[in-house]
Order: sequence, then structure tokens, then C-alpha cells
Amino acid sequence: MTDRKSMRAGRVVDAEFQLIDRQVIDSEGMPVVAVDDLEVSDVPWNTDLPPGTEAPIVENLLSGPVLGTRIFGGRPPESRWQRIAWKHVVDIGTALTLDAPAKEFDAGWTERWVRDHVVGKIPGGRHDPE
Amino acid sequence: MKKLLSLALGILTAIGGFVDIGDLVTNAVVGSRFGLTLVWVTVLGVVGIALYANMAGRVAAVSGRATFEIIRERLGARAGLANLAASFLINLMTMTAEIGGVALVFQLVTGISPMLWIPLAGFGVWVVVWRAKFTALENATGLLGLGLMVFVVAVFLLKPDWGQLGPQLIPRIPATEDGTTYWYYAIALFGAAMTPYEVFFFSSGGVEEKWTVKSLGEVKANVLVGFPLGGLLSISIAACAAIVLLPQAISVTSLSQVVIPVIQAGGTIAFAFAVVGMAAAVFGAALETTLSSGYTIAQYFGWSWGKFRRPAEAARFHLVMLIGVIIAVLVLLTGVDPIAVTEFSVVFSAIALPLTYIPILIVSNDKQYMGEFRNGRLTNALSLVFLAIILVASIAAIPLMVITGAGQ
Amino acid sequence: MILSDVLRSEVVDAAGHRLGRVADVRFRFEGPPSASRARMAGIIVSPRTSASFLGYERSTLDRPVILDRLLRFVHRGSFLVDWDDIHRFEDGRVRLRKGYERRSATLPGDDE
Repeated sequence: MTDRKSMRAGRVVDAEFQLIDRQVIDSEGMPVVAVDDLEVSDVPWNTDLPPGTEAPIVENLLSGPVLGTRIFGGRPPESRWQRIAWKHVVDIGTALTLDAPAKEFDAGWTERWVRDHVVGKIPGGRHDPE
Repeated sequence: MKKLLSLALGILTAIGGFVDIGDLVTNAVVGSRFGLTLVWVTVLGVVGIALYANMAGRVAAVSGRATFEIIRERLGARAGLANLAASFLINLMTMTAEIGGVALVFQLVTGISPMLWIPLAGFGVWVVVWRAKFTALENATGLLGLGLMVFVVAVFLLKPDWGQLGPQLIPRIPATEDGTTYWYYAIALFGAAMTPYEVFFFSSGGVEEKWTVKSLGEVKANVLVGFPLGGLLSISIAACAAIVLLPQAISVTSLSQVVIPVIQAGGTIAFAFAVVGMAAAVFGAALETTLSSGYTIAQYFGWSWGKFRRPAEAARFHLVMLIGVIIAVLVLLTGVDPIAVTEFSVVFSAIALPLTYIPILIVSNDKQYMGEFRNGRLTNALSLVFLAIILVASIAAIPLMVITGAGQ
Repeated sequence: MILSDVLRSEVVDAAGHRLGRVADVRFRFEGPPSASRARMAGIIVSPRTSASFLGYERSTLDRPVILDRLLRFVHRGSFLVDWDDIHRFEDGRVRLRKGYERRSATLPGDDE
């Protein structure tokens, strides 16, 4: 896995087909989020692109409210986007794998919140099943 | 013994799918009105669900990806969400029915009103989902659910006139019923055999059991033992009703009529087996649908899930299920009839089925997921036939339900 | 920019004729695997529909045969347009340069 074969130069992927709506798992195999959208570096908008303009690159995987707006329309304010930087992706197969555990990513905050405020408070929540 | 226990997932999935509270009553209703003329539908359903669950199980074993992740990935977020909404509602309705069903079984034994049992049943289901190990859960309910085999035994103990029973297997519409009702029950039985939650549970359960490529034989064994067993139990309940209730034109409206043939065949001991079997089967179905509701939502949104993780590591998954159980108990306390709820949810399953089936069929042919373990040509051919049947059933379901007034 | 701003946008040529919708956006990896960048390489235009392809028309997925034939038929005419042939991004629309080239939308075989 750490040979990052699937990230080799020259490989081609289609975003909607192979990146968006895919599961993201962390370095320990735990599911983190599903990819709801991608953030790409800015391109000039509503203006002609001069020939030779550099193509944008993927900056972040996005999750959270962007899913709702992707399906129903609109755009959530940028402060509400949950981002996972592209550089953390080490494998792209049937799911996307990250190079660190889930707790190091912002995108895991709702899980942590529910754990701390709800589940952790019910007896037995922090124990292995028996 | 260990080999037998490794089949527990398949057996529990099938029991929760084929003989849950709705099926216990529906099979008896069908037997008491149509004799054995609808057995072919159950057989067809067994083949269909076996095919479908096997494909989903293989995908989970080889790729590690669970069914609802695949549904979202293939259909896209929008169609996937529509499917999620439908599946979650069906799961919730069925959960409600099963928890109510557990209360009904307790009422059958104790005579005490189900209203008192409902909160207890709900709590029991939740506690098991919260704390019990997955293997303990499936072994206990699967094994105890086999108490329902008493229905199979009862068929022989009742010494039926085989010459009269046999010909009933040929599909035809009895003189006392009309065509649309016959086909309504055919779709209801088919939908009951092929409910999506069986597949969600089976494939997610496979991930819980940490299936790998080496487990493919185990997947197949689970499917080949579990679903035919479920079908056999279904058919024997209908057969008992056909032998005892049909000639006397006794109509089935509750669990008490379902067990009449068993009591007649084997007295109190047989009744005891039946009750234990029914309680375990309905409880198992409650567990299965509760877990399915958690699996589907967590897998669609990409959350951490699974009973193999402690609740603190799958917090949102457990929260969804807790909320589901609470809603189910509250709905039941309003006095709604659990069995009526299942009749509706089965028909909606028939509608949601194609959206769940197609992505699984496609992904099980995808080299990136399956490598060398893609579907063979025979599997594909059979699967396409069933896809056609499923599409026909899903289109006909609602009109038939309306025309027949849900089978009156 | 969010990719959904581009996905499903209308695609028109230099003269304003409607060519279809953006069904997907293609990226090419560059740089060493440990510091990989995914650079936009082009867009997939589907003349008929932007609905999900289910995986048939662009990749090595080809079974069951009936579904394969059906979906390829529904998505016939899809093509890839290089980044260099994109003239302008607008809200809900992408304009192509005059003389843009239609390329094959097939994904180069992945042997992952």
C-alpha cells in the first residue's frame, strides 16, 4: 500500500466516476467520510482563458454540506466545507486511502462530537462488545 | 460444530427475512386461502435472494466494500439518496413491526397486553445491538429460530391426504379467490423473500465477520443452507394452514391462528417449540432490520460502522439505530397493528428492490472490485432473468395493492 | 472552485451550438507518487444525458452483455475534450475553442 502505485505519474482518473461518492478510509482502515465533492484550484471565471493557461489541480476532497447543495442546488459558505488535502491521499482504488488516522482530520469532527456528547455518555459505549 | 456455527449468518439472515412477524402471518393467510398454489413463488424467491445475497456477499468478501457504499458509488449521490430514503423508511417500518411482533409473541404466551411488552422488547433489541458481539447475536437467534422446524414436523404429524395436497402445488387460482388477489399475494410473498434488508444485513454481516477472498466458500455455504431453510420454514407454515385451516375456512388474523395446526399436531410441547422459534425469529428480524438501518445510513454517508467496533468508534451508526428504536417504540405505543405495517412495507420493498439490485449486479462484474472473481456467465444470465422479474413485480405492486385493497 | 460548478454544465462550441453536458472531468497525475498532483486534463461531454454511466462506456467493464450494450447505446457519442480546447467557464456553461478536437472518452486500461 505504501508504494502508492495508484498515484503514479501519468495515471488518468475521471472525477465523478472514480473519486466522487467514494469511501475515504484512514491509515488504520476506519471509514472517515464519503467524497462529496472536490475542490480544485481557481480558474478565471467568465473570462476567456488565454491559450497555454495552466490547468487547475485538485486541492482538497470535500465532504459535509456540499453533498446537500450538490444534489439540491446552491453553495454552502466556505467556512462549512470539510476539507481533506489531496496530499494525504495515498491510494485510489475502490476506495480512497489516507496517510493518517481519522482524528487528524477536520472531517471527522461530527463523529467525535457524537462520541463525546451522546454515545460516550451511555453506559458501555466505550467498551468492546461482549 | 464450528462449521455449523459459521453458517449462522446465513441462517439468521434467512430467518429474519422469511419468517419474521409479517411472514409468519402472511404464510398462514396464504395457506388458509390459497392452499399450496403459491409455493412456487416462495421457491422462486429463494432462488432470487440466494443469487442476489451471494453476489453482494462475494463483493464484500473480495473488495471489502459494503452494499450501500456501492449503491452510492454506482448510482451517484442523487439516485443513491432516493434509494437510501426508501430503504431507510422500509427498514424503520419493518423494525417497528418486528418489535411489535416480539410483543405479540409474548402476548400469545402470557395473555398480557402487548402494550406492556413493547417498551421491554424495544429495550431488549437496543441492548443487544449496543453490547452483544455480532457472532453471539447471530448464533443465539439463528439457533433458537430453528425451533420453527416444528412446523415442518407438524406437517407430517397431521397425516394429511398427500393425494389432495400434491396437486395444489400446481399454480392455479382457487375457485374461492380472484386473479388479482392471487397475484397480489404472489408479489407480497416474492417481496417478502427478496427484501433488500436481507442483502444489506448479509453483506455487512460479512464485513463484520471479516470475510476475505478465502471466505468465498463460506459465503456460498451460508447462502445455500440459509435461504432454502428459510423457504422451507415458510412453506411448512403455509402447508400447516392449508391442511388444518383451509378445509375449515378459518381465517388468519393473528398469531393465534398461525399456531393452531401445531397444537393440533403435537400439543403443548409442539406449541412451546413454536413459541420459542417465533420469538427468536421475530427478535432476530428486529435485530436484522435495526442493524440494517444503521448500516445503510452509515455506508451512504461514509461513516464508521460495525458491531465489531466499540460504540465509541462508530458513534453516529449507533445513534441512528438508537433513534430508530425509540421512534419504533413510540409509534407502536399509539396502538398501530404491527402486522398491517409489514404488509405495506413488503410492497414498498418490491419497489426499492431494482435500485438496490442493479448496482450489485454491475459491481460484481467489475474487475476493479472483483479481480478474477467476477460473475460467471451463468450467474449473469440468471441475474438478468431475475432483474426482469423484479422490474415486473415492482411495477405491478402498487396497482395491485390498490385494486385488491391490500389483499382483502 | 468546486467541481460541481463544472459537472453537468452545458457545453457549447465557439459558434454557440449546444454539444451536450459535462458528464465528468478527467485528471492526470503528475509528479512522484509521494507528492502527486492531479491536474485537470479535460472534460467528458455527453450529448444525450449527464446521468451516471454506471461504469460501462469508458472502462473495461463489459458484462452483463445486455446492460453493456444498452448503456453504450444510451451514451453513444460521448467524447473527451482536452483542457487546451476549453475557451471559457461560465455559470452553468463551458465554451470550447474554435476547432476543438473530439477525442475518445475511453479510460486507458487500469490494471489496478
